[in-house]
Amino acid sequence: MAVQDIPSEDSWKNVGRSIPRREDAWLLTGKGCYVDDVPEPPNTLHLGFVLSPEAHARIVSIDTAEALALPGVVDVLTGDDIAELAQPIHTSFLLEGHRDTFRDAIAREKARFVGEAVAVVVAENPYVAEDGVERVFVSYETLPPAIDLESAARDDAPLVHEELGTNIVLESTFATDGLDEAFAGATQVIKETFRTGRIAGVPMEPRGCLATIDRAGEELTMWTATQIPNLVKTAVANLLDHPESSIRVITPDVGGGFGTKAHFYPEELVCPALALKYGRPVKWIQDRREEILTNIHAREHIYTVEAGIDADGVIVAMRCNMMANAGAYSSYPFGATLEAVGGVRFVLGPYHIRNYGFETRAVASHTCPAGAYRGTAQPTAMLAIEGMMDRIGRAIGVDPAEVRRRNLIKPDQLPYTTVVGMHYRTGSYSESLERALEMIDYSRLRSDQTADRLVDGKYRGIGICCYTENSGMGVAAVRARGWSAIPGFDGALVRVASDGKVKAFISHAACGQGYYTSFAQIVADQLGVHFEDVSIVVGDTGLTPEGSNTFASRGTVTGGGAAVRACLVVADKMKRIAADVMEVSADDIRIEDGVAMVQGVPDMSMTVREIAEVAYSKTPHAMPEGQDYGLEATDHYDAGMPTISNAVHVAAVAVDPDDGTVEVERYVVVHDCGRVINPMIVDGQVHGGAVQALGEVLMEELVYDEAGQLQNATLLEYLLPTAMDAPMMDVEHIQSITDENPGGFKGLGEGGVIGGVPALTNAIADALSGIGANVNVNPLRPSRIADIIDAALGTNSA
Amino acid sequence: MSFSKVEVRLTVNGTEYVRSVEPRYLLADFLRHELGLTGTHIGCEQGVCGACTVLLDGRTARSCLHFAVQVSGSEVTTIEGVSADESLKPIQDAFHHNHALQCGYCTPGFVMTTVEFLKDNPAPDEAAIRRGLTNNVCRCTGYVNIIKAVAEAADNMPGGEG
Amino acid sequence: MKPAPFEYVSPESEEEVLDLLHQHGDDARLLAGGQSLVPMLNLRIVQPEVIIDLGRCPSLAFISAENGTLVCGAMTRQMTAERSPAVRENCPLLAKALPYLGGTAHRNRGTVGGTLAHADRLAELPAVALALDAEFIARKSGSERMIAAADFFLTDLTTALEEGEMLHSIRLPRADGNHHTAFVEVGNRRHGFAIVGLAAALEIAADGTVAGARLAAMGVGAAPVRLHEAEQILVDGPAGDDTLRAAGEAAAQAIDPDDDIHASAVYRRRLTSTLVRRAVQEILGNEAGS
Repeated sequence: MAVQDIPSEDSWKNVGRSIPRREDAWLLTGKGCYVDDVPEPPNTLHLGFVLSPEAHARIVSIDTAEALALPGVVDVLTGDDIAELAQPIHTSFLLEGHRDTFRDAIAREKARFVGEAVAVVVAENPYVAEDGVERVFVSYETLPPAIDLESAARDDAPLVHEELGTNIVLESTFATDGLDEAFAGATQVIKETFRTGRIAGVPMEPRGCLATIDRAGEELTMWTATQIPNLVKTAVANLLDHPESSIRVITPDVGGGFGTKAHFYPEELVCPALALKYGRPVKWIQDRREEILTNIHAREHIYTVEAGIDADGVIVAMRCNMMANAGAYSSYPFGATLEAVGGVRFVLGPYHIRNYGFETRAVASHTCPAGAYRGTAQPTAMLAIEGMMDRIGRAIGVDPAEVRRRNLIKPDQLPYTTVVGMHYRTGSYSESLERALEMIDYSRLRSDQTADRLVDGKYRGIGICCYTENSGMGVAAVRARGWSAIPGFDGALVRVASDGKVKAFISHAACGQGYYTSFAQIVADQLGVHFEDVSIVVGDTGLTPEGSNTFASRGTVTGGGAAVRACLVVADKMKRIAADVMEVSADDIRIEDGVAMVQGVPDMSMTVREIAEVAYSKTPHAMPEGQDYGLEATDHYDAGMPTISNAVHVAAVAVDPDDGTVEVERYVVVHDCGRVINPMIVDGQVHGGAVQALGEVLMEELVYDEAGQLQNATLLEYLLPTAMDAPMMDVEHIQSITDENPGGFKGLGEGGVIGGVPALTNAIADALSGIGANVNVNPLRPSRIADIIDAALGTNSA
Repeated sequence: MSFSKVEVRLTVNGTEYVRSVEPRYLLADFLRHELGLTGTHIGCEQGVCGACTVLLDGRTARSCLHFAVQVSGSEVTTIEGVSADESLKPIQDAFHHNHALQCGYCTPGFVMTTVEFLKDNPAPDEAAIRRGLTNNVCRCTGYVNIIKAVAEAADNMPGGEG
Repeated sequence: MKPAPFEYVSPESEEEVLDLLHQHGDDARLLAGGQSLVPMLNLRIVQPEVIIDLGRCPSLAFISAENGTLVCGAMTRQMTAERSPAVRENCPLLAKALPYLGGTAHRNRGTVGGTLAHADRLAELPAVALALDAEFIARKSGSERMIAAADFFLTDLTTALEEGEMLHSIRLPRADGNHHTAFVEVGNRRHGFAIVGLAAALEIAADGTVAGARLAAMGVGAAPVRLHEAEQILVDGPAGDDTLRAAGEAAAQAIDPDDDIHASAVYRRRLTSTLVRRAVQEILGNEAGS
């Protein structure tokens, strides 16, 4: 009997159920263990980083004497000191048009953004470390900075990396054959530019790191608040020239990531470098100011889209020109590719567009490095395409839902490959749209609208977003993106212990997704054991197999896929053992609820525990001929090209013309992520993402002034949505199972924000369309909405 | 610069502790690092996020906005204390069953806020719940399930409707 | 974000507080509820040598009413004031504004005197004090003086309190006649720091017209602003939307707000106008309904 590689449909018993999460047991009771909760070893040293107050400056001198004189300060190191211990952070890109940059963990010679570390204080406790930071005196020669996207892209802009001779750190173009001819055949061409604000993930737990070295001075252990422990391990090994096999990276409980923590950061290099240097544990806990100043920022995109349409509003040709602010340094491991490459690829969404071309650029600037934040390029890419759908509707006088119907990829066109090479295997593009429109009673909402959209003193609008979500990237997908520092596969080790209990070790890192529960549901089903008998280990490179970890909605596809495959091998072995013991054919054995049963022989069975006792030689019965002892399997699963989820969000909003505020009156989601493992967890992901979208659309924006000073580096001034801002939402699921991975799963972690940003923006745009306003920018704070209304009405009420 | 320490006497979750710390030592750090009660989290050190919320003499307070010495002599209840109190179990049960937490970092603060909120408002409507929670920030859940959980907890608390 | 070192003293009487203030002068900061000061200490924006904690000085925490004048000791916790029948009865505007001050956890600890003496441009109570012509009782070693609200708030984070002087209490005189109040504000999110807020108190004549008006706005300048022109229009104008609109426009013109990252100056004017209309409509609506 060959090991099957796709589970049978009736094996899914726990999968599909809203099982309350296991991790709640510790997270709800104060027993969670985040990096700052890891018991501090004796003699731990604490770090405080001296941050540059200048966006662009030559470091003239650093006076450390007063800091060193403070009782409790052990050492102060500059960039030159650290450079003796660690190489600059860098990863090469196998991608034409990408210009690599190098980042010293502590800046040398020049500071390139406000918040970049220029020295580090080593002290006996965190309070004294901060006292020391205040007493490091750095002399700067201020240089002119390049801050905002368009200024930084100008030929005469101050250069961030002089050796490159340009601030364009990535440029790429593409066009299908005959694009110009296709445009020539269009009945009209609609053009729009969309601008989005700079924002950030802002997880509730800032970052932190604790590095220890063993008594032999060889084994390095790091606890760090990251989504990518394996990638951190590789980076530390390479940059410290320390054997990777002697590095263990543990992510304890992590207080939210959202992509922010899917990057390797300088502090994760400085902590182990200094632990090795001093032979003492070294700890650093980030504070909120540092979190906002220095953790990866995101968005700040400009899209200019031209859509050539026919008389029915069907897009016959499209061009997209995109720019993204990459900040001062390329991020590790994504470089400057994440947004600029992703945006122009994802912008096609669920639409049938065969003539397409793009130009895209990532621009370095003297601002915090940009990188992943939930959705990465997708929320703005969908904002661009979905904004175009509404504009097409307005241009030809057709309802925007109908415009989408006409442009969506039809069920009979699946499987479908986009012109940029994305594969859509299964999906429910039309079905999701129709169901979402039904849920929100779209036709009634539309018929209630007046021409000027004013009802009961408020402008009322409806916004739709049909989107595809890129998930579960495997080796081919990361290679296609040029990411050389990401292996692309993920690993699972599934072990049935001699007591019949199961442990699965999976190369992912939990930061709120519910892996301890959802992975256990998968493993329980594919081994045929009780959910309660399965426990999950993630976030520890010393225990889990190698892999690529947790970003870009990879968890269920790559981790779940690896787990399924490892389980099938172990299940097969269990069947062979049971068959041998019971003297029947393995093909007749079915394992369910922890018991191996023989088909057609009701009285004959044996428990998984009894099987395990055989496998571990705890009973006299020998292993079957040719079978090794033990009951475990490791799988390294490559999911290949991305698996594509889809969904539709529809929002109904009311805009108050008197104060510019927006109220979300209805919000519905129809979501399709293939096989749903735990509906309650999926709903939670959608809710959370949609409210992050609400923050992105209505309030969040990181604002730099012309000198490069971040104007709102606190939670008092960078506003996150609260319970009073969040709408209630109705979420339904459609399950278009895919055969691209063994579980039939599709990723979903980012969808809420991808759908929410366009749906909310379009709803506001629709509300203000009656007075002729054109809404093409985010965020839409009350002040900006009031300005838009004034401009449209030609008034200034004050 | 003065590093002289002062004595702090605090009753935390019913146990009295006496420690010597610098006057500038924050209550949040005192609970976490002097007493090892790491369920109280630090999220902003400006009183905005609410992750560090504890009960101080029975009322919610931001432990990042108090010096330990300033509240010497007080009674403090943390998430660890709530977890040991059977009468408050419906709150954590409701959070669990409604999936009202994801990464869990903000959760102790939400639970502490809910303990006080339901004492003050035993039968709240949705608007009141939103108002009651509005000064605790959660970045994961979108609040939808937290609001549901608090409504359910209200029903299930001793003396509630359920 | 950990504070710089400081010396900590916790006097138990007013005399001791004033002696310590006299002794340390500008090197000392008074710690009331700490909800505004401690964030600044954590960020090391302020680094006093001495912190004088008022939390153990019980004589500063009191609420009393004398002939309708509400007297509130500086160390009265905001939540205590919010729940005080004396406050609701004698100064409903204060009771209405208090729930806008942060969250329950902040008001449990924050004090009435603390937020007034801190004088943040986005704080609610300074606008209330200005609208009601409150009197600030300031004490220093051996002396006491009264400062009118109009003279108390100089600019953002700055009051008329001098070195060595402490806010002892605030007196909120009861307005005459049939008096109705509203507090309204709008921010970039539903709760939290406002962009503009408005404290309003109207005297309603027997025939339902406005006989007297007191309006003060916050968030429109470095200190709260009394909107005298708008008040006058409300009193002089005929009842109706036109008068409301005119009052709103007068309010918008009377202020000189700034642009910042949260809102434009133009928007602040618009919002002030809107809030004047909303506050008056709320009061008149309640009056009509009662």
